[in-house]
Amino acid sequence: MSLTPTGNALRDSYAAESAKIETEFAATSNGRKAIEDRAAAVDRLIIDLCRESLAADPNKLERFCLVALGGYGRRALFPFSDIDLMFLAEDQDAESRYRDATRTISRTLWDLHLRVSPTNRLLAECDRFHRHNAEFNISLLDRRYLAGDAELFSRLNRGALPQMIARERPALLRDISELTRQRHEKEGDTIFHLEPNLKNSPGGLRDYHVACWVALISGNHPAEESNQPERFWSAEVTGEMHKAFDFLAAARCFLHYRQGRDDNGLSYELQAEAAARGIGGGRMQAIEPADWMREYFRHARVIYDLCTQSLDEALPQPSSLRGRLDGWVSRRTPSDFIEVGGRVRMRHPEDLRDPARLMGLFDFIARNGVKLSREAEDQIHKVLPALEALAGTAGTGSGAPAAAVASMFPNLWAGFQQILVAPHAADALRAMHSSGLLVCLFPEFAAIDSLVIRDFYHHYTVDAHSFRAIEHIHGLRHATSAWERPFAEMLIELEQPELLFLSLLFHDVGKGMPCEDHIVGSLQAVEMAFSRLGLKPADAETVRFLIRDHLAMSANLLRRDIFDTETIRAFAENVGTPERLKLLSLFTFADIRAVNPEALTPWKAESLWQLYVSTANFMGRSLDEQRIHAQTDDLRFVEQVMPFVAQALFSDGAIREELSGFLEGLPRRYALAHSPEEVAIHFQMARNLAEDSVELRLEKRDAMYVLTLLATDRPMLFAGITGTLASWGMNIWKAEAFANAAGVVVDSFRFTDPHNTLELNPSETLRLEKNIVDVLSGSITLDMLMRGRANPDSARPPKVTVATEIHFDDSSSSHSTLMEIITQDRPGLLYRLSSTLARTGCNIEVALIDTEGERALDAFYLRVDGAKLTLARQQELRDALLSEL
Amino acid sequence: MTRIEAIIQPSRFEAVKDALHEIGVEGMTISEVRGHGRQKGHTETYRGREYEVDLLPKIKIDMVLPYNLVDGAVQTILRTARTGKIGDGKIFLTTVEQAIRIRDEERGEAAL
Repeated sequence: MSLTPTGNALRDSYAAESAKIETEFAATSNGRKAIEDRAAAVDRLIIDLCRESLAADPNKLERFCLVALGGYGRRALFPFSDIDLMFLAEDQDAESRYRDATRTISRTLWDLHLRVSPTNRLLAECDRFHRHNAEFNISLLDRRYLAGDAELFSRLNRGALPQMIARERPALLRDISELTRQRHEKEGDTIFHLEPNLKNSPGGLRDYHVACWVALISGNHPAEESNQPERFWSAEVTGEMHKAFDFLAAARCFLHYRQGRDDNGLSYELQAEAAARGIGGGRMQAIEPADWMREYFRHARVIYDLCTQSLDEALPQPSSLRGRLDGWVSRRTPSDFIEVGGRVRMRHPEDLRDPARLMGLFDFIARNGVKLSREAEDQIHKVLPALEALAGTAGTGSGAPAAAVASMFPNLWAGFQQILVAPHAADALRAMHSSGLLVCLFPEFAAIDSLVIRDFYHHYTVDAHSFRAIEHIHGLRHATSAWERPFAEMLIELEQPELLFLSLLFHDVGKGMPCEDHIVGSLQAVEMAFSRLGLKPADAETVRFLIRDHLAMSANLLRRDIFDTETIRAFAENVGTPERLKLLSLFTFADIRAVNPEALTPWKAESLWQLYVSTANFMGRSLDEQRIHAQTDDLRFVEQVMPFVAQALFSDGAIREELSGFLEGLPRRYALAHSPEEVAIHFQMARNLAEDSVELRLEKRDAMYVLTLLATDRPMLFAGITGTLASWGMNIWKAEAFANAAGVVVDSFRFTDPHNTLELNPSETLRLEKNIVDVLSGSITLDMLMRGRANPDSARPPKVTVATEIHFDDSSSSHSTLMEIITQDRPGLLYRLSSTLARTGCNIEVALIDTEGERALDAFYLRVDGAKLTLARQQELRDALLSEL
Repeated sequence: MTRIEAIIQPSRFEAVKDALHEIGVEGMTISEVRGHGRQKGHTETYRGREYEVDLLPKIKIDMVLPYNLVDGAVQTILRTARTGKIGDGKIFLTTVEQAIRIRDEERGEAAL
């Protein structure tokens, strides 16, 4: 349709204003000004149209007015956004009188190619809550007078709507919450989207407005304040939100102008263009696309946090049973914390000045899966500078140095590992990160704050990827698919899962550091973390290994034939021990899975599991063959241990030779499974060995006791130790039995003390040690010790029944027969097995004892009279064991 | 035009892909698949539990090429995918009647 002469003039005038706004935006990248200017230009246009179609002086209209709604009402009209316009009439009569004129106005706006969304309403309709039109209810929150009867608008603005909001506050909040939830779900529920939507993604402009609406509704603020959020946010929050809005507004204006339509998708190509033009932030300087996106994510995080916190805090508590239970849960919280609506804060905010309580807050989050309240986050923001001042680093932005952190958080590792292993560790780490505590403790982590990796595989920023990886490991506890279950079982078997989580947290920090190989950077970063955490050397070495080799399994899956024995041998040699293999397998599982939702296919997971199984089997079956040759091929083992050997009375050469003699012939597994310090202790024990004597060391490590025993090989040695432990009611979980070429046996046992005998009676430790020595020396018999013990078979019935399986393998070792036995775990089992072996004349060359729930998984390398077991002997042994078990 | 369907060892995929790019093959579709030919599978035991490894992991490459590139592509796959062991995979060739690019409806070899 052709425009009237006035229409043509309006079109030309509006086009000139729009072009001016666009030119100014191109020069300044000031999005806030561009959208305000466009709203003002549209205001002028509509008022001119009113003059032409309604009245020469629109303000003299009676019982009828024009109201701007939504973004237009907020004076935030993006270049191609819809224009929400309400024609408000007091009654039907007024509406009828102006109907034709309103149609003309709407049509003219359409003819000017403006996407107007007109709505005709009576005042009485705005007084009502529209249960099936949540969008309309919400759009009224951003109302603004344009033209017409000002008194009518005032009745809407000061009377009808505030009354409706006050009356329907819970329903309004629920609608906003539900719409937000649906929108977030549709956008992948993460702010860290590869190609985000600037309006609808979590942390986008819609979330900014949700935060405004929630504040407006909760505080019943007048509508005029929706454009002035500083009225209901703190100065600090306002400052952050202001910056975030400016950045996103500029970026969205850029997208609209670039695309020529209301398209808010920030594609890869457009990210690069926006970065090249320095859009947002007001600097107009080209930066790297990754850095520009990093800035975007930081702003999105500010908006997202405030939006979700505001909603959680404002939502009415349900009156249902669930609501009452929530109340009950909040009463259960430890006295330091108050939890309401899934958000936690301190009962006494000043407690946060105590570093232990500060860590306790995040420990609470890690255990309970709640979020930080806005109040608590603000409190932490206030406390952190004080902590940094205490550490002498205030204002340096470099976080606290190691010594200062150690003095502020004396048991940092103990507290931090509790957080890492708790089921909601990822939530706690995210909260620590967003509150600034994580970077205060580990300044190196700042390098990957919101860092974008621009490739088509990574969907998340590097920090988000690391948190997700940790989340995926914890998620295995609820594994449902067949390909996840083996990894879930592996997780349960881990001895130190905290080392896996710490490695995952730091494995990609190097990506934000100026080094060619990110692994080198990550290793440097984690060394700094060690200095604050005070990890034991052996634990630190495990973390180093996991970070250094975190791509090794993926590389094998992609570039090696995982069914080739040589591939498996080389990989097993690199990994070293079954425990490390489990850690690395789980690491790889989580690392791939956290790249994007589709990265870990069942195909990849099954291939990873295949590589794990082949390597684990190789480690178990090659144990007897892979021996240390300390004086030729394996000098490195000697060199690693030497610094820990006391050399006061001996020359370096003599002690080195003696150490080589001790290591010679021990399985390589021994040197890989024990730290150099431990090997040095064992060496010292071996040096103290006199003929037929026994050297013992018993220590408590967490919930387990570890018994290490060195002796010259003799009949019934293994059975004597296991029998003594059984007679004391100890429950053996793991054991190893190794021997060197000189016939010195190094046995170690990890056992629990179900009756707390040793803990409650410290003197009993000495008596247990004496019993072992006496049994091995023959001073007392096991029968004497066993007398009076309860029959092991009378113990409680097992929860799961495990059938006994015995497998013999003559191919794994050139000089021993490997016997693997799987059976029901029960008290005294290992004694019954080892005494049967001794009774049938079998000598244990190597033993590996493990327990998995109710299943005992034991492997023995056996010889009879210095040779492998004949088939007849194998049958005889099988019969004897089946009869015993 | 000929469709080439190559089923290869996962460990050879990177080398095959790079070699195909070098001779001018620009587009391909990759699938993670499982299967076996005459090599069949085997049984793996882990901690007393038996696992049937009867369907082995493979990578399937699908390409449709103009006739002048087909021989070169086949030779490249043969050269780079071969390890000499059982299980190196297979190549299947089929004639393609038509190709249509969805974006602009271009047809024939120009659409490849």
